[in-house]
Amino acid sequence: MPGLKDKYAIVGIGMTEFSRNSGRTTRALGVEAVRAAMVDAGLGAGEVDGMLSYHGNDSTASPTIAGDLGIRLNFYMDCSGGGSSIEALIGIAMGVIEAGMCSTVAIFRAMNGFTEARIGGTGRQRPVFTGTSLEAGIHGMNSAAQSFAPSFMRHMFEYGTTSEQVAHVKMAHSHHASNNPRAYYKQRISVEDVLNSRWITKPLHLLDCCVETDNGVAIIVTSADRARNLRQRPAWIMGVAGRVNKEQPGGYHWSRGPISRVAGVYGAPIVFGQAGIGPQDVDVTGSYDAFTFTTMLQLEAYGFCKEGEGGDYVSSGIIELGGARPNNTSGGHLCEGYTHGIGHIVENVRQLRGLADDYCPNWAAGEHSYDYTEGGCRQVKDAEITMNLGWAMPATGSALIMHN
Amino acid sequence: MAEFLGATVAIAPNDPEHLGFLQAAAAGRFVLQRCAECARLRYPIGNACPFCTALEWEWAEVSGKGTIYSYEAVMHPIHPSFRDQVPYAIVLVELDEQRGVPTEHDGLRVLSMLVDANDRPESLERVAIGLRVEVGFTPLGDGLALPRFHLSEEAPEHTPWSLGG
Repeated sequence: MPGLKDKYAIVGIGMTEFSRNSGRTTRALGVEAVRAAMVDAGLGAGEVDGMLSYHGNDSTASPTIAGDLGIRLNFYMDCSGGGSSIEALIGIAMGVIEAGMCSTVAIFRAMNGFTEARIGGTGRQRPVFTGTSLEAGIHGMNSAAQSFAPSFMRHMFEYGTTSEQVAHVKMAHSHHASNNPRAYYKQRISVEDVLNSRWITKPLHLLDCCVETDNGVAIIVTSADRARNLRQRPAWIMGVAGRVNKEQPGGYHWSRGPISRVAGVYGAPIVFGQAGIGPQDVDVTGSYDAFTFTTMLQLEAYGFCKEGEGGDYVSSGIIELGGARPNNTSGGHLCEGYTHGIGHIVENVRQLRGLADDYCPNWAAGEHSYDYTEGGCRQVKDAEITMNLGWAMPATGSALIMHN
Repeated sequence: MAEFLGATVAIAPNDPEHLGFLQAAAAGRFVLQRCAECARLRYPIGNACPFCTALEWEWAEVSGKGTIYSYEAVMHPIHPSFRDQVPYAIVLVELDEQRGVPTEHDGLRVLSMLVDANDRPESLERVAIGLRVEVGFTPLGDGLALPRFHLSEEAPEHTPWSLGG
């Protein structure tokens, strides 16, 4: 599939802190994140003219964020959507610039994901059973964990995948987070810690689930001619796919096909086709870790290992810093904090710049020790190609490949 | 007013599909939509045939028998209605009708809390992939009932598998 390889780049990244008590509106979080991305890129208010955001009725719309920053927009769109939105929105940003509608697009996600709208549910209300909740909610399936768990259980049945194998995902990401000053949870977690944590819904333990936080995150996309003249080394976009579906009559991911085979099987040929590379060429992955096993299912779907061998792959050491292809070097959603995916993009841009903001004293100058012990480095040596694997649910995913 | 576990069951006036499904259950019939063009059954409820796009359909009664394809055991309730239901198993049932259609990996799949003879959550020790199940009907009031599955007397379809620990 033809794409726009190397014609667009991510030129700015910005983040607020990750907390469970922001004490601020999503407007304040969004403004801080977008401004941080502009400062990072060296762009003033007059040089950003497009804005995109995604939300679940828990954010502040682009015109308000732009208005606060004195930005006049030639294009904006605020989309309903959660995980896997960000890669798709990067593709949309490229498209609207290509169409001549604007020149530089800021994309943000702002959420009080712990204090206001918890994706896992607050249990504060007793909703009415109506419409499609008569097929799932009324049977006791009312959260992301409850919705996805049967896919993982079936994978365990068909392939012999174990809780211990996927617990390695949490272990690896926690080691990465221990070298990320921004991470909400920096404590290193062992496989046994995961297995000893309480069941949320079997086969998922508490520590198989990600960390809901309050945060704002932003990135800036622009065309190659502008990207070359900005402050940072551009992260060049090689390919993008999303939001890709698998068949899902009724809107339910479990209604068709093998339920542990996820939408990435359809995204893979699109994104690798544009990029002109294969999984073996990728140095760093950012596979969506809403749960430990979601990382595994996506790595399988995009061909980093064979279907059914994801348990072996994620427990082999490959996904750890120092391994052949580290995954979620920030600690990801499991440890750094839940961002609906955009945080994984920021981390891969950092890796491509050689500027992972770890505990190395001169990281900002690109000087890294590559010592991945606790409280040390999290920069991957010679990272040249990164890939993001976005997840909304088993039937919806997105992907992005970048190089430096 | 129909009610279930302390929550209102409200069928919108423009939703005859869910209304018909729950009304048939109240009459002891487990029905699915059958396409008027290609005659394939479908579930979950939808407004077109996912196999041929035809809009016309009719209700068709099915056996209500099937096999557990996957499951989970919920320990941490989210929805307040299920706080006194935990622990409970949610099963994904593959019905006997139309298995392997349209591909070998497909079938008519229905979600249900696995319930016991008293219509309470079944003991978690008894749930496993491969076990045979049958539909029953939980009254909701107002002429509606909810189809839910319980273990059947039939021999398992294959060696039962469940997650230990």
